[in-house]
Amino acid sequence: MLSIVPTFAWLEGLAWTTALRESPYGYPLIETSHVAFIVIFAGLVMMMDLRLVGLAFRHVPLAQIQQRLFRWQMGAFVPSMGTGILLFLVDPLRYYQNVFFIAKLLFLVLAGLNALVFHLKTYRKGETWDEDPHVIVTAWRAGAASLFLWSVTIVASRLIPNNWFK
Amino acid sequence: MSQAYRDSTYLFPVTQALHLLAVTVFVGAIVIGDLRLLGWGPVGQSRASVVRSAQRVLLWAGLAVLVTGIPQFTTNALTYHRSWLFILKMWVLAAALLFTATVRHRVAVADEGRLASWVPRVVGAVSLVLWMGVTISGRLINYYG
Repeated sequence: MLSIVPTFAWLEGLAWTTALRESPYGYPLIETSHVAFIVIFAGLVMMMDLRLVGLAFRHVPLAQIQQRLFRWQMGAFVPSMGTGILLFLVDPLRYYQNVFFIAKLLFLVLAGLNALVFHLKTYRKGETWDEDPHVIVTAWRAGAASLFLWSVTIVASRLIPNNWFK
Repeated sequence: MSQAYRDSTYLFPVTQALHLLAVTVFVGAIVIGDLRLLGWGPVGQSRASVVRSAQRVLLWAGLAVLVTGIPQFTTNALTYHRSWLFILKMWVLAAALLFTATVRHRVAVADEGRLASWVPRVVGAVSLVLWMGVTISGRLINYYG
């Protein structure tokens, strides 16, 4: 059976990945940037979610939060993905079997799908309830699901250094 | 209690993870207000409306940051006490808290026409730098603390 391990071992042996991994600054600075961008991105996404579930910003029209924050969310999401991919490439053998890393990826994909369904389907008819402090039930569910999925993604991220299930 | 906490395999890492989650929500509530002060966020709403709406989130998330942050300090107080990054984080945190409760709040709730347009912009930028400084220095403790 084909194994991905030799590819990861090859990646890990490259001069630039080795240099970044062993540098006293390379890995820590990339990882810190990764966390900083995720905190801004997920923090802003969660503000929109709190509006959807009615826990904050209830008197701010959803469009104001959703549309005006989108570019800032994406502006933080793209570098967080870039630094995240770089962190994986630098040390793939450390991550690929880590339960928390796999959980993080899984919940990240689920959060992305939830956001996609919300933007393409639920929010299409948003103008009818945009200014209402109480949004329609499908939008409320999307907000609650997003809060849960991003929370689990962040908690799983922080637990990656503890591989309790080797 | 600190000893039991330190010796537990799961308790300390889980607290660290919940701390990061609380920090994320807190930073989200700060950034949405700072973007509005910078004139880039939800500009259809007044500065006061956005910052006041974020205040409740800030208070609850701030409480969660404290509840998850203090046990991390008390169980390793001697190590943190010697960490220059931890001391830097605490100083920046004190400056950020003071700035948010005084200057940022007063500028946010002031009549929009009363202040020159550069004032809220500068306040939003300073707030963003201070709070990201707290987040980044906190994260770097793991490596250089």
